Amino acid sequence: MAFAWKAAGITYNRYLAVAARVVRRSLKDDKRLAAERRGEMDLRFAKWENGKQGESKNLAEANEASMQQAASGQ
Amino acid sequence: MLSRAARPAFKAGSALTIRPVTAATPALQSANYATLREIEGRLKSIRNIEKITKTMKIVASTKLTRAQRAMNTSRSYGQTSNTVFEEAETKPLESEGKKTLLVVCSSDKGLCGGIHSGMTRYVRRLMTEHPSDYQLVIVGEKCKAQLSRSNPKDLALTFAGIGKDVPTFADAQAIADQISLLPEDYASIKIIYNKFLNAQSYEAVTVEAFSEEAIAASPNFAAFEIEDEVLANLREYALANSLYWALAEGHACEQSARRNAMDNASKNAGDMITRFQILFNRTRQAVITNELVDIITGASASEG
Repeated sequence: MAFAWKAAGITYNRYLAVAARVVRRSLKDDKRLAAERRGEMDLRFAKWENGKQGESKNLAEANEASMQQAASGQ
Repeated sequence: MLSRAARPAFKAGSALTIRPVTAATPALQSANYATLREIEGRLKSIRNIEKITKTMKIVASTKLTRAQRAMNTSRSYGQTSNTVFEEAETKPLESEGKKTLLVVCSSDKGLCGGIHSGMTRYVRRLMTEHPSDYQLVIVGEKCKAQLSRSNPKDLALTFAGIGKDVPTFADAQAIADQISLLPEDYASIKIIYNKFLNAQSYEAVTVEAFSEEAIAASPNFAAFEIEDEVLANLREYALANSLYWALAEGHACEQSARRNAMDNASKNAGDMITRFQILFNRTRQAVITNELVDIITGASASEG
């Protein structure tokens, strides 16, 4: 079973997040505002190598970038 | 003013040495006044601290109810997700040479007693039992600061920005994604979080997130009829579910710990206020009495 999103380098969680975002956006305005708050994510992360902290980056951007990389690598 | 003027006159009558006494008395008296003012200043600052801690307690209490609700729903969610592995009797694989990934769920904020240090201690105990078997992924600045001091070599990823609000599933998904993108292959992933026992006590516990091989090797796995291609999806999804559960429960623990800590702080501040109030009154009375004594003695000396 080959999924189109898998071929595009998107992980299952990312796939779920996108699907959830679409559902949230199609809600009516009053419900949508409450629902969209549940989808917010504002994390930063840093990679560590040999005991040194790397650059602190925005998680959402980094995830997208790495997925694009995975897609082009295939 | 009168006492200061009267005292040298009295002392001059009784003793021959005038100089040192006149020099000493104003210093002593101003010291008295200074302590009085000092106590007043400290009283004021303690009152302010009490106000702040009380407000923080109220804020934490309101956040706690929301956090607890989120915790209860996420707990049933995470447990349902784990039922699959319970039914399949999945066990972590004992594979040589592969490391175990520890995901530590703390938060960015302090002022909530020892719950972050409790988690750090738990992690350190695990690490000392099997050194070099573990790599760390840390969510939250507090545990990062503590563990980066003791085990900087074992850190793989750190996340920040958690703990402002109730953690969302999007948070958990993003973290799970980044963890599954790690280049190394891990024997199993252990998520460490504070389990909410009751409002007073928490305990650092682990939930297991299994690797693909471990899921595939579990005895009753055939009953689920899952195809191999989607196994990776199941693993990622289960990791996000468990992470969400751990984050939400850890958040509830933190809020409840903060409420307790602020409650204690306000209580201590109240105690200190009463103590300082009594000290302040005593000192004030002592100063007044001293002045009266000085006036009377001065008056009687000048009469006689």
